[in-house]
Amino acid sequence: MAFDSRQSRSDLLQRAVVAGGALAAGGVVVAGLPTRASSAPSPAQDIRILNLALLLEHVEAAFYAEARAKGALRGELRTFAEVVGGHEQQHLAFLEKTLGGKARAKPKLDFGKATTDPDAFVAGALALEDTGVAAYNGQATNLTAGALAAAARIVSVEARHAAWIRSIVGKTPAADTTDSPLTEAQVLAAIRKTGFLRS
Amino acid sequence: MTTKREGAIEEVAVELDLTLEVLDPAGAICEAHASVDRDSRAGFLRRATVGGAALLGALSVVPSGSSQSAGDVDILNYALTLEYLQSAFYTEAERIRALRGNAREAAEVVGAVERAHVQALRTALGRAAVARPTFNFAGVTENQRQFLKTAVAFEDLAVGAYKAQAPRLKSKPILAVAISIHSVEARHAAWMRRLFGIVPAADAFDEPVSRPQATRIVASTGFITSSGKTERKAKPRFTG
Repeated sequence: MAFDSRQSRSDLLQRAVVAGGALAAGGVVVAGLPTRASSAPSPAQDIRILNLALLLEHVEAAFYAEARAKGALRGELRTFAEVVGGHEQQHLAFLEKTLGGKARAKPKLDFGKATTDPDAFVAGALALEDTGVAAYNGQATNLTAGALAAAARIVSVEARHAAWIRSIVGKTPAADTTDSPLTEAQVLAAIRKTGFLRS
Repeated sequence: MTTKREGAIEEVAVELDLTLEVLDPAGAICEAHASVDRDSRAGFLRRATVGGAALLGALSVVPSGSSQSAGDVDILNYALTLEYLQSAFYTEAERIRALRGNAREAAEVVGAVERAHVQALRTALGRAAVARPTFNFAGVTENQRQFLKTAVAFEDLAVGAYKAQAPRLKSKPILAVAISIHSVEARHAAWMRRLFGIVPAADAFDEPVSRPQATRIVASTGFITSSGKTERKAKPRFTG
């Protein structure tokens, strides 16, 4: 199912939640609902959150795969795309396997020149990796213990990726004391801001 | 690391375990917030890097009093011990001035962050905080290659340690802070790895490092030469 039609269905369900006070969605995964500040962890909520992560991993995996396929990057940027792309592919596979029939569909993507032009590639990689860290961190308290353990194994790798790409272009890799979390809505906005999603 | 230390491993391991025990559970954190006087808090905020104030603020929303679990205090003290180790290591490297170029900058920036982590954890724990152990890095900070190799080990260890403990934390605010420190340590690890000349991210998944395993690893270095004890001296009364 395309990202767009899911969003309009989620709008309908969102109004239903406001009106009815309860989400009677059964096993349906709904993207785009804002996460309540103190949502109690549950398997159903894990599914929603992991699908948010899956969206990001889809974008990342496809981004690096296209960069590798086009073969325009050189030197350490090329190595970065190869190594990191391999990781994102494994993250994607892990999340799809975990979610099974509940996994969201691959979004339609268009990376423009970001997979060939070094500066655009760096900007894209940085945006995606930092958003990944903030997304997982933002949902950590909403996950069940098992899903948290799984997410934790991934988020630190995304953080390594983010520091690595900064290092390559001569930026300070890590100056902050903590990594700020993002809400689900902020994560979606950040992904859309890359311009890579085609609706 | 060197064979001459092997004889002392058992002794240091025992000391380290005692360091990591919960010694003053529950009410200490609430008291700690009341007792941090303005001057030292302002001093910390001046010294900390950009996120330090945010970290302190985040930890100050930790529920106080009886709702604080003894388990969480214990885990925070364990984290504090690892942060003491890292911060002392970078601080000494900076002081000794044997590093050059990018490695030197890394020690300064990462050291400032680890020191901020120490201060934030100490503030959150108050009287329950384990005191700083004493360290002997046996010349490791005097050699750039040894420094980088050790920094990689410390940062990778911190990532694994925070990762193993995160699902065990009861308090959601503490979990949020711990998980946001955990990813910062991973950035440090990538940074130091690249400086050392190895791939910043070797695997798609980072694995947790259990507490017994982390304790063994730290003990095997011989860097901790005496265990800390709980702070016993009285804190100044809240003046704000």
